[in-house]
Parts: sequence; C-alpha cells; structure tokens
Amino acid sequence: MDANETATVRGWDPLVKLTHWGIALAVLVNGVFTEEGSDWHVWVGTGMAALLLVRLLWGFIGPKEARFSAFPPSPTRAADHVADIVAGRKLAHASHNGLGALMAYALWATLGVVAVTGFLMSGVPGTASARVEAPMVPAVTAPLAPVAEEADEEREEADEAEEGEGGEGAEGGEGPEWIEEVHEVAANLLFVLAALHIGGVLFETRRSGPAVIRRMTGGVRG
Amino acid sequence: MGRRAWVLAAIVLLQAVAAVFFVGDALADVREDGWRAHVLVEGTIALALVAGVVLGALELKRMLAEAQRSADALAVARGALGELVAERFAQWGLTAAEADVALFALKGFDTAGIAELRGAAHGTVRAQLAQVYAKAGVSSRAGLVALFFDELLDGVAGPR
Ligand code: HEM
Ligand code: HEM
Repeated sequence: MDANETATVRGWDPLVKLTHWGIALAVLVNGVFTEEGSDWHVWVGTGMAALLLVRLLWGFIGPKEARFSAFPPSPTRAADHVADIVAGRKLAHASHNGLGALMAYALWATLGVVAVTGFLMSGVPGTASARVEAPMVPAVTAPLAPVAEEADEEREEADEAEEGEGGEGAEGGEGPEWIEEVHEVAANLLFVLAALHIGGVLFETRRSGPAVIRRMTGGVRG
Repeated sequence: MGRRAWVLAAIVLLQAVAAVFFVGDALADVREDGWRAHVLVEGTIALALVAGVVLGALELKRMLAEAQRSADALAVARGALGELVAERFAQWGLTAAEADVALFALKGFDTAGIAELRGAAHGTVRAQLAQVYAKAGVSSRAGLVALFFDELLDGVAGPR
C-alpha cells in the first residue's frame, strides 16, 4: 500500500471485498450461466445469500467504515453528493458516498428479495424436497415421477417442472406463480441496478480518480 | 495482518455458507418430518456454525483494528523520530547546511551521494560532516546513527 493512498482513504477490508466479489460473481453466474432453478443455480444462490447475511452482520459489528452508521441511507447525503458532482468537488469518502450508499442498500434489498423468493421456490439444495428431485436427472427423457407430477400439476412450464418447488410437502399449492414472478422481476431489477452501479463506479472513477475502484479491487495486502 | 485477515474472512464466509445450508436443511426437515433427533443434531450444527461466524467476524474486526493501531503507531514513531532528529540538530547548533548533510548521512548516503544531491563538492561535504560529528560528540557516521538508535531502543532489554 503506498503512503499517499493510505493518507487519503484506506481500502475496503477483506470481508467487504470478499462478499462484494463473491456476490457479484454469484449474480453473474446465476444470471448468465446456470439453468434457472437447477441444482447449481440454487447452490450458487445459497452461497450468495450467505455472503449477503455476513455482509449485513458486518454492517452492525464491523469496522467503522463498513458499518451502516457510516453510510446511512439519506436523500440529503445523496443530494449533497450530486451537488459535489455538479460543482466538481472531489471529497474523499471513508465509506460510501451519498449516492453509492443508496445504491448499496438498493442492491442489498433486491438481493434479499431474490434470495427469499428463491428459497421459497426451491428449499435448500440437498434438503428433503431437493432430494426428491435427485432421481429426476433422467427426467428429460422419462417424464416426471408420478408423485412430483401430481404435486406439480398446476405448474405447466414443462421443462422447468423438474424443479419441484417445495416438493410435495406443506401447504398444498406449492410455489405459487407469484413467487416465481417476484423472483424473476427482482432478478431483472438486480441486473439493471448492477449495470447502473457499475456505471456509477466508472463515472466516479473518471471523475475523482482510480482510488474509488482500487479500494474494492486492491490486492491481498490492502 | 494482511494474509491472516484474508484467511479468517474466507473461513467466516465458508462457515456462513455452511450455516445457511444447515439452517435451511433443518427447517425443511422439521416441515417434513417434525422434530426428530436428526433435526436436533442439524440444529446444533447450525447453531455452532452461526456462533462460529459471529465470533470469527468479531475476531476479524479485532485483528483489523490491531493492524490499524500498529500502522498508526508506526506513523507516529516515524514522525516522532523526525522530531527527535530535528530537536538534536538544534541542540547541537547545526547550521542549515550541516543539518541537511547530517540528515542525508542518517539516511545512509555516503559522501559522494550527498555531494551529488546537494550539488556540492566532495571536500565541502566532508568538512561539513566533520563539523556535524564534532558538534554531536561522535567520531563517525556509525556513531551518529547510534545516538538516535540508542534512544529508539530505550526501554528494550538487551540480551540477558
Ligand atoms: C444470485 C442471484 C440470483 C439470480 C440473479 C437469479 C436469477 C433467476 C432467474 C433470472 C430465473 C428465471 C425466472 C423465470 O424466468 O421464471 C431464476 C429462476 C429460479 N431461481 Fe433464481 N436467481 C438467483 C438466486 C436464486 C436463489 C438464492 C435461489 C434459491 C435458493 C433461486 C432459485 C431459483 C429457482 C428454483 C428458479 C426456477 C423458477 C422456475 O420454476 O422457473 N435463485 N432465477
Ligand atoms: C452484479 C454485480 C455487482 C453487484 C451485485 C455489486 C454490489 C455492490 C454492493 C452491494 C456494494 C456495496 C459494498 C459494501 O458496502 O459491502 C458495492 C460496492 C462497490 N462495487 Fe459493486 N457490485 C457488482 C459489480 C461490481 C463491479 C463489476 C465493479 C467494478 C467495476 C464494482 C465495483 C464496486 C466498487 C468500487 C464499490 C465501492 C463503491 C464505493 O466506494 O462507494 N462492483 N457493489
């Protein structure tokens, strides 16, 4: 770490960096690569949820800059930052700037919705309901096992039926359509927010220097 | 701290993934089979993992705070040494030029290097250094360095 940089702002701590890049990777992987509702999708999503929970815990007990109290969601602060941008002021922020803070909360909230709706559909990977799915690997050729078929009757998206949301347990009409709907809408919102977020980071980096981005990417020593 | 903090952070995150998995698994099992012994075991594991996450996070925070403190202390020490040097130079009554030369000497430059940095002749620098040693009451560069080193090591016990 070079002296100039430490003199202004320190990089994010390892936990913030790891959760950030872990979550970003999970979103990318689940948005682009895994099949919706597949085991991999659910595993990756579970990992994302765990990272999110730890980051939120860190928001209460972590070091000063990582705490929610260091970047309260405040329209006033956001407006202040807009004013800084307009006036060309480049202030160093120990935590997130006002706009960045709002974006962080928006991203976390959306991630939370995606995770909760995801779990509501799938249960946890490897759990009883998911285990029922295990024999379904050949489902592509031989259609669903009778039990799952009954449970899933109301769901007609043929190729996705293998997910068996919530299995045959519990409250009868499993995996109501709206949950899936919400999951999908939230996921799409997440992509939009992430794009805006990356745009914002790039903009701020151009405006006030590479420190913004280096605090999050900086090496193992940072 | 660097590497250790990263390892600890990674362990905390792995534990968190496992904790989420076990909590979810236990909940699903309760829903399906009610409270079996199996669920209690799972619940215990989940609890232990959650406790591990929280304690690990607290430990990580302590580690980071510690690292910050020693970085701060180092900066203070650096600043303090600078002050000490300036103070002694003043006490010895060094001229501005002598103080410059003395500082370079402390930083490890040899006569030729100092001469180059100051754009002065070797002979001038050598004479100035001699003045510095005389005023400090030492006979060599090593003696000069030792004066400060000695003060820095004050309070550090020697061998035995
Ligand atoms: C990491 C962030 C995630 C993203 C970006 C994401 C994205 C998506 C998308 C785009 C779909 C397709 C929705 C549709 O068109 O119907 C989907 C489906 C699904 N996701 Fe996620 N997801 C994420 C996390 C999760 C998690 C945490 C779980 C469960 C633990 C999960 C479980 C499912 C399931 C079961 C489906 C299939 C729904 C169906 O029956 O069509 N997802 N996901
Ligand atoms: C799907 C992808 C992404 C998601 C969901 C995401 C989410 C987040 C979240 C939640 C934060 C707040 C961090 C915290 O306080 O823990 C954050 C901060 C940050 N992210 Fe991302 N991020 C993504 C991609 C990226 C990418 C690709 C970059 C690099 C261009 C990036 C650079 C940053 C930086 C520099 C910060 C700190 C901003 C500041 O100083 O206020 N992110 N991101």
